[in-house]
Amino acid sequence: MSELKKIDLDARELEHPKPLEHAIKALHELDDESYFYMLHRKNPIPLLDMAQEQGFSTLSREDDAGNWHILVAKNPAIALEELLRV
Amino acid sequence: MFNQNGLSLDQAPPISVVFRFFFSGALFGMLAGMLILLFGTAIFDAHSTEAVILTHTLTLGVMLSFMFAALFQMLPVIAGIKLTAPVQKANRLQYPLILGVITLLLAFETAIPWLYGLASLLLGGSIFYIVSVMLKNLFELVHHSASSKGMVIALLSLALVIILALYMTAALSGAINGTYFVQMREGHYSFGLFGWISLLIISISFQVIEMFYVTPPYPRVVSYYLPITLLGLLTATFIAGLFIPSSWVVTDILLAILLTGYALLTLVRLTQKKRPLSDATIWFWRLGLVSLIFSMLTMVITLFVDNDLLKTASYLFFSFFALSIVFSMFYKIVPFLTWFHLNSQGYFTAPMMHEVIHPKTANKHLYIHLATLVTFLLSLYLTPFIYPAGLLTILSFGWITYQIYHAWKLYKHTQETGEKFEMGNINP
Repeated sequence: MSELKKIDLDARELEHPKPLEHAIKALHELDDESYFYMLHRKNPIPLLDMAQEQGFSTLSREDDAGNWHILVAKNPAIALEELLRV
Repeated sequence: MFNQNGLSLDQAPPISVVFRFFFSGALFGMLAGMLILLFGTAIFDAHSTEAVILTHTLTLGVMLSFMFAALFQMLPVIAGIKLTAPVQKANRLQYPLILGVITLLLAFETAIPWLYGLASLLLGGSIFYIVSVMLKNLFELVHHSASSKGMVIALLSLALVIILALYMTAALSGAINGTYFVQMREGHYSFGLFGWISLLIISISFQVIEMFYVTPPYPRVVSYYLPITLLGLLTATFIAGLFIPSSWVVTDILLAILLTGYALLTLVRLTQKKRPLSDATIWFWRLGLVSLIFSMLTMVITLFVDNDLLKTASYLFFSFFALSIVFSMFYKIVPFLTWFHLNSQGYFTAPMMHEVIHPKTANKHLYIHLATLVTFLLSLYLTPFIYPAGLLTILSFGWITYQIYHAWKLYKHTQETGEKFEMGNINP
């Protein structure tokens, strides 16, 4: 697999529902060579549900500081666990 | 509109459930405006039939409809509760509620005994039904947040409000002799204003102020203990008040201190938001909180100084406290739900949130709402101002009615003509 493109979003200081709005936009841009990496102060269950229903693979994990790291990829071959920065 | 404990898409109620409660609430708001035009300043005498009719149009018709719209939407969000068959449950609440409010207003106007009986049946049955459904779901929760606990307490208060109301309607219809009518009335509006309306707003604010405006969270001592303290205070005083009516004086002072403290804390929290941008929803919150402070201040003064104008001002400010917060939540919920439901259904052409209700539209409503408050206050001294106040009330709720209609039209239009996409297939 060639170099993966990361679509970054730090949503920790965005007011609801901007994080969800930006994240859905970002999902539209995903292809087989890219993945989405979001930092958020909550675990965005609606986004993860929506992404999973559309066949994306997802991963969310809370770090020690209470920030949530959310990873989404369209290509199921992308190993999200390896891309996690926690 | 989500919490970290989990909201799944299929937990959210159909958009129509939320919208139609907002819609009926807005129509009752327009009716309230018409009643103000009809009754004039007679509404300022708290013991007049006119004031009682208007109060119940606002509390039952407007506030209860708006608050149940918010509860149907927020229970899955804040507590992670899935209400099964939400449309059926909404039907069982909404139709009897609308009929019950109209019947009760007619009963107040005509004093026909069987109308009180019918109103009691319709309102008592429907509200008890939905309160028991919501409480049952809340009691089954394993992990409670401060907000979900607060909702339990607010719903328990609502149940008490209805029980006391049933005693009063039974007395008014002549079914019982009503020995404790005065004490029950005191409890009815104290539990209604402080235990139900204030507590529900406070409980929801523990979650939404932080989430909507990215502020530091409320101190744990406030979010966990304020709701139960308020309910405990109201309950203890209600029981004591059966024997010592003057005990409400002490409680009113304590309530004023607690609610003013909450309002000041929330105002401070809103200054601590991380982003400097402000929209109409935050100003609705500020206006509501400042109104609450004025309401409490005037209420305390009237405990020591017999002044009818101040008493009326206290009721007015309290109404603007509740309505301002309700309007703020409306402008957050309606665009979000329209956009979110369409997106989750996969519509590529779903309107953006600002296309459902533009921020400038909410700003204009804020000015109308402010003008309504000012004209009401002026009408305390210059009675003809009651007529512009009535007209502005109709305009304010008419504005809301149009926004719901517009959002619903956009929603249906997108469903009928919009392009659907599978996000996973956009870029093959």
